[in-house]
Amino acid sequence: MSGDGHYEFNANRIFMWLFIFTAAEVAWGYAGNWLEWGRVLLWGGLIGFALFKGIYIAMYFMHLRFEGWIVKGMILPTPFLIAVILLAISPDVSRNEQLVHEIGSMYDPKTGEVHEFMENTSGRQQGEHEDGEPAEADGGPAH
Amino acid sequence: MNVTAYDPAIDAPAHHHGIYDYDSGPPVERGKFAIWLFLATEIMFFTGLIGVYIVLRSGSAEWPDPMERLAVDITALNTFILITSSWLMVRSLFSAQQGDQAGVLKWLGATIIGGAIFVGIQVYEYMELIDHGSLPNVDIFWSTFYAMTGFHGLHVVVGVLWLCAAWVKAARGGYTARNYLGLELAGLYWHFVDLVWVLLFTIVYLF
Repeated sequence: MSGDGHYEFNANRIFMWLFIFTAAEVAWGYAGNWLEWGRVLLWGGLIGFALFKGIYIAMYFMHLRFEGWIVKGMILPTPFLIAVILLAISPDVSRNEQLVHEIGSMYDPKTGEVHEFMENTSGRQQGEHEDGEPAEADGGPAH
Repeated sequence: MNVTAYDPAIDAPAHHHGIYDYDSGPPVERGKFAIWLFLATEIMFFTGLIGVYIVLRSGSAEWPDPMERLAVDITALNTFILITSSWLMVRSLFSAQQGDQAGVLKWLGATIIGGAIFVGIQVYEYMELIDHGSLPNVDIFWSTFYAMTGFHGLHVVVGVLWLCAAWVKAARGGYTARNYLGLELAGLYWHFVDLVWVLLFTIVYLF
């Protein structure tokens, strides 16, 4: 930053990198799905691209690189707070066999019907109790 | 010990009100301090949303492939548009710093158009999804999708309105080479909205 408060950086160059990395990220996402890469490689690459772009935007477009300690002091703790939140929710992030969300089923609010049955982790299907009986008897699908 | 007295004519920010001969506040403009504090809370807000998404997705037995349910190509285009508008905002601030009022109006106007196009494409996406019965109450994929992208979209709308107000002020000569803090604050918010979208696009559409 110059003495009169102007921020000196090459905005066109930053923009070019953001553009290139967005294109690369989208290509990485498509390629990872088509070629069925492992999740670690696919997600690791995507997170890498996203973080790179986020840091560039914050550092240059938002001038964080040129700010004083008081602004940095407000923002720099947030990644640690984010880490604390992610750590706190980690017990629920690990796959819990007790959870049944019936993801992928399509509920039609007009007719009340559920389409696209999908098996869940416990082997039950949507609308069934553990004993295999339909759940309609007590007024709704089992959760 | 060599102590230099505080001289508001030299040490105070350019927009500092002349009546105050002593500034006991933080060594940064008050508006900038406030917007960064606000953005810190916004970071934690979106962290909460993303954290909920991670818990629900990881705890689910199955999760649909977003690329099969969502129009990734048109949203990728939207991402390019938002990044471009962020760059246009930088050009606008550069113009203000150089005292180029016409440049401010031109670049800021282009920024607003970019933001409006982003909102328009998102509304179109929502309408197409709703037409196909993909409502928030259908399943947890859609509820988290609408929660995250909806709140971000709301931020974009607020940003566009803020930029419109800044454009009107610029048209009235409200920003000069020595007084452009209002434009800078609007720009900080706009870049933050861009930054959040960069992360949301990756998490919601590409994962």
